[in-house]
Amino acid sequence: MAVSTIYSTQALNSTHFLTSSSSSKQVFLYRRQPQTNRRFNTLITCSQETIVIGLAADSGCGKSTFMRRLTSVFGGAAKPPKGGNPDSNTLISDTTTVICLDDYHSLDRYGRKEQKVTALDPRANDFDLMYEQVKALKSGVAVEKPIYNHVTGLLDAPELIQPPKILVIEGLHPMFDERVRDLLDFSIYLDISNEVKFAWKIQRDMAERGHSLESIKASIEARKPDFDAFIDPQKQYADAVIEVLPTQLIPDDNEGKVLRVRLIMKEGVKYFSPVYLFDEGSTISWIPCGRKLTCSYPGIKFNYEPDSYFDHEVSVLEMDGQFDRLDELIYVESHLSNLSTKFYGEVTQQMLKHADFPGSNNGTGLFQTIVGLKIRDLYEQLIANKATARAEAAKA
Amino acid sequence: MMMMMSAAASHVRVVLPLHQQRRTISIGSEIFRLSQTEPRRFKLTIATNVTAKYKGTKMREEKLSEMIEEKVKEATEVCDTDERSEECRVAWDEVEEVSQARSDLRIKLKLLNQDPLESFWQENPETDECRVYQD
Repeated sequence: MAVSTIYSTQALNSTHFLTSSSSSKQVFLYRRQPQTNRRFNTLITCSQETIVIGLAADSGCGKSTFMRRLTSVFGGAAKPPKGGNPDSNTLISDTTTVICLDDYHSLDRYGRKEQKVTALDPRANDFDLMYEQVKALKSGVAVEKPIYNHVTGLLDAPELIQPPKILVIEGLHPMFDERVRDLLDFSIYLDISNEVKFAWKIQRDMAERGHSLESIKASIEARKPDFDAFIDPQKQYADAVIEVLPTQLIPDDNEGKVLRVRLIMKEGVKYFSPVYLFDEGSTISWIPCGRKLTCSYPGIKFNYEPDSYFDHEVSVLEMDGQFDRLDELIYVESHLSNLSTKFYGEVTQQMLKHADFPGSNNGTGLFQTIVGLKIRDLYEQLIANKATARAEAAKA
Repeated sequence: MMMMMSAAASHVRVVLPLHQQRRTISIGSEIFRLSQTEPRRFKLTIATNVTAKYKGTKMREEKLSEMIEEKVKEATEVCDTDERSEECRVAWDEVEEVSQARSDLRIKLKLLNQDPLESFWQENPETDECRVYQD
């Protein structure tokens, strides 16, 4: 919903004028229709607020399922721009636009090979352009954003991006540049541990005839130095970190199917109130399986505690294990507090909507959904705040 | 909806969509080459149950799979000489990029039933990429 305030910089009485006919004594009052778009001396500020969310994770923009969960919470299905470049990385829904930061590569695949830099290296990215365009979108101006084609490895012709209500920038470096970081209203870092990364990449790549276990291992090892130098340090700036680790419930498990997921939430972030279990700020360890709820092996275990993360106060909510049935999920949801849901069971409903997405039965899906609800809450609070501020300014 | 047989190998004329014509002539000849080789359909059906609807998507899938194979070979060779060299890192980064692109395409088709060419077809029904793929 866009609220527009029209300020006319001309004198107010120019839209009305009086004519008097010479013979009669009648006065005709005309009112000219304001032609808002063509008159450059009227200043229109349409205050559709745009909030910018940053999402950082490895491997380019393959966080498709996370993005789709997020956009689904805000409403509407996210689709690529209609009729445009089929290799576009952008997703657009009614409320949200997701931009892949790979589009701001300054060097395409051939350029990077020549200069011997990986895509992880900041030298392969144009942070000035990134900053300008995110700033423009945030202030309500449409931009022509370049497209990086992952199939050809080239930079294609730009596409037009309209400023949305919620802008999500996802990629390797959303929080790398300080100016871009300052534009973010909320930032998330997806921290996958090496064991889980390995297991996921095996699942992803083993079906390809080019890959083998050795090649996958070598690929991860080769990426490590650049990843540790450029990508990993961004997690200290994130407002929420989703850490994915191997489970502690199954001794010596190396399949990576059961996961231990930690949602690390920074305290003191504006409009963001961390989720908690039972008693805010205390330390809780909770196994929901018991008399009221029967779970199958390995069950579910929750932990909640305050902690310190890179010198910040944080609250950590952790889930180990997986959901097997719907009632486990709703049971867990009913015991979590500060979820920012609009009705009882909303988290469960959102999880069910995408039940075939990976992570739907464990903490990854659960926390991604919760983060989505938190962002929606942040957006609504921001809008409400700006509206009251404007109302007060108008009264004064 | 146009239904055309997709591979009379000897005389397939590939017309690239306008936005790609500027830059990807070399890709065009590669694609042309692809359509003359035997389609490795059986491999792809292991990975995904939903096959591509449009010929352009099928071409992309095959191209990406071939690229993965090529680039893994290349990276293994480059890294044989020096594991810690920059060339080695860049080579594996390319493998990663192409593997991820392949996986994204698979997710789009399988999980979301969204062929990336669906909306492109609606605006450009005449292009060769949008011919419906028939196995």
